This record gives sequence, C-alpha cells and structure tokens, in this order.
Amino acid sequence: MTPIQLVFLFVAFATLWAAFMVVTRNNLVHAALFLVIALFGVAVLFVMLEAGFLAVIQVLVYIGAIAILMIFAVMLTRGDVDDIPDITNRYAGWVGLVAVLFFSSLVILMAQWPSFTALAKPILSSRDTIVELGTALVSPNGYVIPFEVASVMLLAALIGALVVARPRKGK
Amino acid sequence: MFGSITTDMVLAILPEIALLVLIAVVFVTDLVVDEKRRGILAWTSIIGLLITMLLTAFFAQPGAEAETLWGGMLRHDWLAYVSKLIFLFGALITTVFTLNWDSVRFKGEFYVLLLTSTLGMTLMGASADLIMLFLSIETTSIPLYVLAGFLTDDDRSTEAGFKYLLFGAMTTAVMLYGFSLLYGFAGSTGLYEISAAIGAGQIPAAALAGAAVLVLVGFGFKVAMAPLHFWAPDVYEGAPTPITAFLSTASKAAGFVVLTRVMIAAFSSVQAEWQLMLAIAAVISMTLGNLVALSQTNIKRLLAYSSIAHAGYALLGVIAASELGAASVVYYFLVYVVTNMAAFGVVIVVSRVIGSDEIADYAGLSRRSPGLALVMLLAFLSLAGIPPLGGFIAKVLVFAAAVQAEFVWLAVIGVLNAIIGLYYYLIVLKVVYLTPGKDEQKALPTPRPQAVALVVSIVLLLLMGTVFAPWYQWALNSASALF
Amino acid sequence: MLDQWLFVGIFVSIAAVFPLLPLVMARFLAPRKPNRIKQETYECGIETVGDTWVQFKIQYYVYALVFLIFDIETVFLYPWAVSFDVLPLFAVFEGVLFILILAAGLFYAWRKGALEWS
Repeated sequence: MTPIQLVFLFVAFATLWAAFMVVTRNNLVHAALFLVIALFGVAVLFVMLEAGFLAVIQVLVYIGAIAILMIFAVMLTRGDVDDIPDITNRYAGWVGLVAVLFFSSLVILMAQWPSFTALAKPILSSRDTIVELGTALVSPNGYVIPFEVASVMLLAALIGALVVARPRKGK
Repeated sequence: MFGSITTDMVLAILPEIALLVLIAVVFVTDLVVDEKRRGILAWTSIIGLLITMLLTAFFAQPGAEAETLWGGMLRHDWLAYVSKLIFLFGALITTVFTLNWDSVRFKGEFYVLLLTSTLGMTLMGASADLIMLFLSIETTSIPLYVLAGFLTDDDRSTEAGFKYLLFGAMTTAVMLYGFSLLYGFAGSTGLYEISAAIGAGQIPAAALAGAAVLVLVGFGFKVAMAPLHFWAPDVYEGAPTPITAFLSTASKAAGFVVLTRVMIAAFSSVQAEWQLMLAIAAVISMTLGNLVALSQTNIKRLLAYSSIAHAGYALLGVIAASELGAASVVYYFLVYVVTNMAAFGVVIVVSRVIGSDEIADYAGLSRRSPGLALVMLLAFLSLAGIPPLGGFIAKVLVFAAAVQAEFVWLAVIGVLNAIIGLYYYLIVLKVVYLTPGKDEQKALPTPRPQAVALVVSIVLLLLMGTVFAPWYQWALNSASALF
Repeated sequence: MLDQWLFVGIFVSIAAVFPLLPLVMARFLAPRKPNRIKQETYECGIETVGDTWVQFKIQYYVYALVFLIFDIETVFLYPWAVSFDVLPLFAVFEGVLFILILAAGLFYAWRKGALEWS
C-alpha cells in the first residue's frame, strides 16, 4: 500500500464519519461544524485527484460561504437548538433501507462498466489547466454561453433571495 | 482554438439577447422610477415580449438543417425555434394577467424574475449539452421558486414556494447525479457526443438505464408526471394564479422539450427500457390525475390534477420515440399552452372579483359574464379533447403515435382516461351554466387587456383545431430535427 | 503536482495540532477544583445576562447571501483573470459583461435598502 492510498483511506473515512455525525447530532451548530469537516475531506479528495482548482473552490465556496450561511441560518432560528430530544422519526428505518438499496444498486450498476476499475490516465503536467479553463470559459467555441447564463442565474438568485429574506413592515 | 462569433451564432441566440436587454430595461426602470409610476413595468414587459416574439419569429428561424453552435452548447433547430415561441407566448399572456393586480404590478422583481425564468426556458429548448442544460434548468427554476412564494404575506403562497423549492432542489440534485454519471460514461457533456459514445459500445445497458432513471427524476419533476407529481396540487393552489398558469404551461412544455430531446438523442440505445419506465409513469399520471380530479372542489387544484393527467397523455408521444411521436408532443404543447392559459385566465379574472377559487362559487357565471363562461366552455372542452377544438387534434395525434409505435394498450388507457376527464370538465361547466348563483344580477367585468388575451387564446385554440396544417407542419419540422 | 500539495497538508496538520496541544496539556497538567462561579460562561469577566441562545437579525443573513453570490462570481472570474494575457479583446468584454450583470445585483441590493442596518 502506497502512502497516497493510506492518506486516501484516512481522508475517506474521516469524511464519511463527519457526514454521519452531521445527520446524527442533536445540536444543529455541532452538525454544521461537522459538515465543515466533511466538506474539507472532499476538498482533500479533489487534491488527490489532481483537481487543485476544484479543491480551492470547495474550500472557498462550500466552507467559506455555504457552511457559514448554514450557521447563520441556525442562529436566525428562534427555538432552542441544543434541546432536540429525538431527531429520528418513524420513517427513519425505511429511509435507511432506501438509502442502502440505492447505494448498493448504484455500485452494482457502476461495477459493470469496464472503466470503473481501470486506472486513470495521468494528466500532462505541462499544461496550465487554469489558463485553459479561463480560455474555455470565454471562448465562443467553448463555454461562453453557460458563463454568461451563470451570471444571469446568480443575479436572479440574488434578487430572489432578497425578495424572500427582506424584512417586511410590521413584522 | 479561439473561434470567433459569426452572424449565424448571434441569430441563433437572438431571442435570448432580446430577453436579456428587456430584463435590463425592466430592472433599471424599477430602480429609477418612483413607486407610484411603476405600473409601466408590466407594459414594458408586454411590449418587450411582443418585440422579442416578432424578432424570434422573423430572424431566428433555423434553416432546414439543424446546426449545433457555440461550441456544441446550443442547437439551432426547429424544435428550439417553436418551443421558444411557445415559452414567449406563455410569458406574454402571464404578464397580461398581472396587469391590474396590485400586489405584484408595482414590483419590478416580479417581472425581472418572470423574464429570467423565460430566458432559462428558451435556453432549455435549445440546449445540446449537459452543462448548458443544467444551467438553463436552474435559471428557469430558481426564479419560479421565488415567484411561487412571491406573496410573502400570504401563508399559502409562502408554503407553495417553499415546497416547490425543497422538492425542486432534491430532484435537481438527483438529476445532476445522473448527468455526472452520463459524463463519466461517455467522457463528454455534449448530448450528441454522448449519443455517439454510447453507440460505439463500452457502456453496459444496465448502467445507462440507471443513469436514465436519475435523469428522469429531474425531468419528471419539471413536467409533474407521476410519481413525481405530488408537489403540483399544493404549489398550484398556493402560488399566485398567473404563476400557476405559467408553471402549468410554459414550464411544463419546457420540461417536455428537454425530455424528448435528451431521451431521443442520448438514450436511444436503451430505448426499450426508458419506454417501459415512461409508459408506467404515463399510465399512473393519467389515471391518478383524472381520478383525483373528480373529487376536487377548488378550481386551481382541479386544474393541477388535470395538468398531471395531461402530462400523462403527452408522454405517449415521447414513448413512441418516432417522428410522429415527437411531432405530436410539440402539437400537444402548442395546444395545451393556449388552452390552459385561457382556462387560468378565466380563473384569474373571476377570482379578482369574487375572491375565491372554489368551484361552487362559479355558479351563475354564465349570467354574470357570458363571455368568460364561453371562454371557459371552449377551454375546458379543448382540455377534454372535443372537436373542433385544438385539444382534439392533439389527443388524436398522441394516441396515433402510440398505436403506430405498437403501444396500443397505452392508447386504449389514454382513451378511457379521456372519458373520465370529460366527466369532471363537464361538472365544472354544469356549475358555470346551470347552477343558480347568489349574485346573478351583478355583472362580472373583464378588464380590456385580459379580454384581448383571452380572445387571442381562444382564436388560436379554434385555429389549431380546424386549420391544423400549418401548425402540424411546425410540429413535423421540429420532430424531424431530432432524428 | 501532488508534491506541492504535501506542504499544504503538512501546514494543515500543524495548524490542527497547534491549538489542540495546549488544550490536551491543560487537561493533564492543570489542577481541577470546580465551583459554581468557575463553571459560568466566561464573558469578558462580566456576568452573563439572559439566555445564550438569542435570535439574530435577518440582516446578517442578507449579508451572507450577498457574500455567497459574489464568492461564486470570484470563482468564475479567477480563471478568466489568469488567462487574461492570452485572450482576444472581445473575450475580455465577455468577462466585463459577466461582472456588469452581477454588479447590477449589488446595485439592486443597495437601492432597495437591503444593505441598510435599520
């Protein structure tokens, strides 16, 4: 076993453990902090796949913004968050079963695909992927339409969020 | 590697450019004009949408050969062209119905979001790439979530928006996972490259069918087909009625365009599998939609279940996976958008005056406003599929497509369901025409812009049922772009 | 490629150990004689007033939302900025259009008073 594989196993288990803690904690703030660990684990996995840019995005956007947003959302709630006695309901068993079935069927389906067990081709290190990404984003033969549409979508999301979140008179 | 922009490419996205300019105009007007004079926002949107429709109709018409432009992101073909016109028409009529509605017509956000959603739909109609497709679906959906919950002082609207958001986000996540599997299998995000990679073999059919299921979850949500229909009645009931109209027409049509294109383009090698899945979904949608509609007392819920049933009928055309099938889907939505817009238009005008959406309160409508009652009669008979209205031709086409593709049993179930459907449409019409109402003497006036929109819809509806050759030619052109 | 990340890994590990170490050491070395006053939450030496769990103002959330949108904008702009040198002029304008569309959002938030602290 190479050191890389050891690191992978460690990170993968840590991510899964943190993810498990997220859904089992009674305290919402603790759950949100475990989510940060899980997201960080995913960032490390991106690094190991040599997707450095994605790893940076993962930290910047998911941990830096989304997790913080979630913690803010928890702080906005009025109720006492650390006193939820039981977070499971009577469907918990069924949901667990569905999750297990879904996961196992996915693994079975993917295992039939020959590339599932094949080794990844090495990435040519001479190419500067960020420059290529930047060029592709604005190239008419690349992704310029999705690039501009993304900004329109973000604008709509911003306006929509403000419409919903704006405090109203008399409240 | 760095290409340049040609005239063809610009013409292909002319509707989108026009919409973006319109969004900018409405957006800036909202910010600079003071509150009392913001009534011009709706008119700006209406005029802008009319100009966009004209520009699209005359300048963005594709040639005989379908082209894939902008680095494979967008397809410039008849399906995209016709569907863009359908969406723009839906947005236009929706905007007209907001005209004398004070809770939204001074809010620039409402129109900006509505137009952004329309922009997303026009892109959905043309997307030929998974990334583009995902972005356009999100650009359509995110504004719609907010619009469904736009009346933040009304708890039912807030609930509708929130439910729509939760179910939407969940199904989108599943769909996105399906997309990522497809990309992993095929090594490309372009629908037509994926199709080629699948044709070359290598990908086991079972894995591909699994990806198809995940993708269908997302599309099924958008078109409100069973078993992903459960959000529709609550959201349709709680959302502002013009938005309900928009959701049940343009949004559903956009879902169907994408469904037809992706299934036929990318999943042709597992056709038998997805045909079976969709056949089951179609049977449940039709039967459940029609049976539950029988017991509804709220007109918006009734139309919601009716729209679930109609998703089931239209699915027959997709299942046929033939040129006739695809043409029948396009024809179905040309008719359905016009019909449902008219039906919801009546609901909007009536509920503005009587303040209720209960079917019982429609009693005596024919004496209070013969015109509205007539529009309702024609729209509902078209939904039921009675000649000489558009709905009849649309149903005949989808059933014919199913029979031609040797799904005779599906067509039989479809016909049986059409009979159940007729029953509840007639019950509503009975209330409108025969049941005596409380305020029969009080006239129920229709504001002029709304009246114009209703008349236009009804005229189109009659034209699609009688002079059907030009519309059918559109549908056929759209279908031939897929094969 | 991965070697470069090794240093980041080492740095992160040290950063994690650094605050943990005194905490663990304190647990073993420090004498423990708890009483009621010592168990109180430390709040700059002043006695705490009311419940720890208070509801925050919605404005925090609005700021966070606006921040999130512009955070994502940065993600898109970063590769565009890195490849600035090799881009033709009209591609630069495409990036400018992207920024303008999002700046409109900021302008909107400002005009509608979403950024005001009332």
